[in-house]
Amino acid sequence: MSGASVIVEDQSLVSRLDRIFLKLEAFLNLIGGLAIFLIVLLAVANILGRKLFDTPVNGYIDWMEQFMAFFAFLGISYCQRFGGHIRMDIVVGKLSRRWLWLTEAFSCLLMFGISLILVFGAYSHFERAYVNGDSSFDIGLPTWPSKLVVPVMLAILCLRLLLNIWGYLRAFYFNLEKPAAVPMIQSTSEQAIHETDGLTDNNNDSDKNTKV
Amino acid sequence: MIEAFLSVEPIEMGIWITAFMLLMVVAGMRVAFAAAIAGFLGLLWYFTAKFGFERAFGVAVKMAGTIPHSKVSSSALSLIPVFILIGFLAYYAGLTKALFEAAKRWLGWLPGGMAVATVFSTAGFAAVSGASVATSAVFARIAIPEMLKLGYDKRFAGGVTAAGGTLASLIPPSAILVIYAIIVEQDVGALLMAGFIPGVVSALIYGALVVGLAMMNPKFGPPIKGYSLSEKMKSLPPTLPIFFVVAIIIFSVYGGWGTPTEAGSLGAFVVFIMAVINGMKWHNFRDAVMEAGKLTVMIFTIIWGVLLYVRFLGFVDLPREFSDWIGGLEQNPFITLLFILLAYAVLGMFMDAIGMLLLTLPVVFPAIIALNGGPDVTAAESAFGVSGTGCAIWFGIIVVKMAEFCLITPPIGLNCFVVAGVRPDLSVQDVFRGVTPFFIADVITIAVLIAFPAIVLWLPKLTMGIQ
Amino acid sequence: ATEWSVSLWSKRRAFTEHVEKLAELVSEKTNGEFKLNISYGGLSKNKENLDGIAIGAFEMAQFCSFYHKDKNPSITVTELPFSKNLSLQDISDISLKIYQHPIVKKDLARWDATLLMPSPLPQYNIIGVGDTPESLAEFKGRRLRGPGGITNVMSKLGAVKTGVAANEVRQALDAGVIDTVAFAPHAHMAFGSIQVGKWATTNLNLGTGECPVVVNTLALESLKPEFHKALMDSVPEALEYYINNYENNVVGKYEALLEEKGITKVNFSKEQTLELQALSEDVRQQWIKDNSKRFKAKELFEYMQSLVSEKHMESRVAEYKQISAF
Ligand code: NA
Ligand code: NA
Repeated sequence: MSGASVIVEDQSLVSRLDRIFLKLEAFLNLIGGLAIFLIVLLAVANILGRKLFDTPVNGYIDWMEQFMAFFAFLGISYCQRFGGHIRMDIVVGKLSRRWLWLTEAFSCLLMFGISLILVFGAYSHFERAYVNGDSSFDIGLPTWPSKLVVPVMLAILCLRLLLNIWGYLRAFYFNLEKPAAVPMIQSTSEQAIHETDGLTDNNNDSDKNTKV
Repeated sequence: MIEAFLSVEPIEMGIWITAFMLLMVVAGMRVAFAAAIAGFLGLLWYFTAKFGFERAFGVAVKMAGTIPHSKVSSSALSLIPVFILIGFLAYYAGLTKALFEAAKRWLGWLPGGMAVATVFSTAGFAAVSGASVATSAVFARIAIPEMLKLGYDKRFAGGVTAAGGTLASLIPPSAILVIYAIIVEQDVGALLMAGFIPGVVSALIYGALVVGLAMMNPKFGPPIKGYSLSEKMKSLPPTLPIFFVVAIIIFSVYGGWGTPTEAGSLGAFVVFIMAVINGMKWHNFRDAVMEAGKLTVMIFTIIWGVLLYVRFLGFVDLPREFSDWIGGLEQNPFITLLFILLAYAVLGMFMDAIGMLLLTLPVVFPAIIALNGGPDVTAAESAFGVSGTGCAIWFGIIVVKMAEFCLITPPIGLNCFVVAGVRPDLSVQDVFRGVTPFFIADVITIAVLIAFPAIVLWLPKLTMGIQ
Repeated sequence: ATEWSVSLWSKRRAFTEHVEKLAELVSEKTNGEFKLNISYGGLSKNKENLDGIAIGAFEMAQFCSFYHKDKNPSITVTELPFSKNLSLQDISDISLKIYQHPIVKKDLARWDATLLMPSPLPQYNIIGVGDTPESLAEFKGRRLRGPGGITNVMSKLGAVKTGVAANEVRQALDAGVIDTVAFAPHAHMAFGSIQVGKWATTNLNLGTGECPVVVNTLALESLKPEFHKALMDSVPEALEYYINNYENNVVGKYEALLEEKGITKVNFSKEQTLELQALSEDVRQQWIKDNSKRFKAKELFEYMQSLVSEKHMESRVAEYKQISAF
């Protein structure tokens, strides 16, 4: 259950770097997911505290808002690693192999460009909050930590995009059929079967008895 | 050359930038980033025309840089990850499969039985899930493999799952109805209540559609027969937790326990406890939060990417132009309403539902209320036959149904992308093709809701005393 | 022609009428050569209007200081509870003077912002659901949503400060998340607390919100002299228009709604007011303590205090004159 695409792995340098980098990305995405679970716990604590002890969590809304940036951004590079950011592949799916890899590389280059621009813009947003001061509505939490998450995660996304560009250019240069370390448009039935098998293997017992 | 470029009218540039964004989307650029690039270039053009390039570049970079953080750090949006998480936890807790199994045993005998079961189990799951895309993602994993094994057309299997997912946004709890209520400052409880009957009506129409299609096409896919009554009864207890969660959410929102976010969180927590009781291991939980985290990031990235583009539209004042144009029309209000809904259908072709509502409602909602005769008008004196408050609720349900409709329309209907994303054997265009009949059914549903506002307003009138 | 972008939020309402009037006046005085293009929420989120001014993305914006007190610590001084009943004109005059204080100018200069005019709001009052409080002690355990000054005082009586976004207030009241909310009259109407409230205070006098209109300093300085003059000359008239509108239309409508909905009025007695005043003193001292690290908080506070007393004396004298005229 690792995501939308199965990423080919081999012994090439780009693939080895990809796997090392994935460890960092998966860790960050896990933290992001746990942050969602944490706001669930926070809301439960708030509702119980209010109903049972007349003491809601102090600054509940402020904490929620500060959390938002964490789960909105911590997984951004992980999502890209698996090609999870949505797109339309109707047209590019029709391209010949080499043209496809070149188009993909160019598309990643544009993504790299806008992400890099946003790294600087988001950093300046953080910097204003850090230098001039900024605080949340109710309990005056500093907002800079949550603002810092954005440029940091976008910078990590930039590194991932560089790996993608490298992977696609390598695929273009060597005319590879199944290049390593890049998300590919998937339509083959082998991969479908592979994914379905993975699902049933991974599920817990309560799911087993519902097979046809 | 540059002079000519800079002297373009802002509205015209808005249209050019929009066309450029669509071109990038069609060329396979990931949607969030295509929108962000378009938005940034638009801002850069706007500020260059105003200040000259040297100063404009810094201003555009900094303005663009405020948006990702600004747009995601709103506590109202916290409902979205919570409802996504609840969906994944319910999946790992076996609740979704239990629901699907029960629907299969009770409804499988119908023509196209497995697809009917998919429709009604997505409707049932809608009662614990507030997010359409999450519902489609979950059922793409459960229902599609079973339909394929029985020989259903893979495109239709994808389509029914994508369409079924949209039911989550009408049947309470619903994240998007909450967003609507917040934007137009209406009572969330009344809106959630109002969504219930239209949601059920939509599910019935989908179900009837599947039965009709199956009866016309013998190669459609076989019904599932032969479950004894005791086998049918046995399938029910595993679904009880869902009813328990529904009860919690209803008591929270209508019984004064807490806000929708809190209710959703309480629901998520209960599903989590049940998953633990059902034997969820750490690695299942880790998978659930990893998947929920990834899907949340995907949705939030689109939200801020589209809103970066919307910010550019704000600077060139395109939304106001639109409202002036609507306000200037001298014709039957129903015709105007029709135009507005058509505009939503067009916008929905290239914007996500949340971005679309965020962009348009501040402009469109007052126009609709004014068209009806003002916020304090009585039903008898109004243009649409609904009171001021009633109109706010009624239009909310219609516009959310409309936004849901856009989740299954090309080129960027999110539900279809999610189904295709989860199923490597399905391309997006496969799913779009499979969803076409549901697309037509939705048009009929929307027409029915417009013609008979009572379908929307009966329940909130009964339970919450809305006039 | 010079065009300025103006970033407001939500929609046109009593709270934004001075900006609308300003745009009208400036355009008139310059024969349409200098235009203020007002946008409601299209250019920025309200909490980031100061960021947009600092960036230079738009030239004029409105914000409220209690949204982010660390961005603008100095002007929160006007939100402190002074337990004095002042007219909107008084509040407006005081804010305009505070804006000229060097500490305040320096504070806003960090955002390249120059304070242009206030959006004077009357004293906030609390609307609540549940039992009408018969004494101050009965505020204990009530979950209150409001700006810092008021909630800090009320929490000393045992009220629980509970954060809810303004547009969720109505629903939070329905759901029991909060049971009391402190707003200016226009906000009680805009956010629906008046629709569900059972009782309302009439003389809380524990402070109000400071919501200034600012301009980007560079943009202001680089205006043509005649445009600059047109802008500055229009401020008093725009404020006068705002105050008239607020007093005649909003306050009246609010009072009428209180009657219409049969909302019980809670009028604090002299003793209760004195008690609240005593509690306010702690809050004021705390403000000085918290801000002393950043600027000469005591100096600014004392200046504010003198302005309030001055206005209070003026109105007492006016009252006295009216009485003695008989
Ligand atoms: Na739902
Ligand atoms: Na696919």
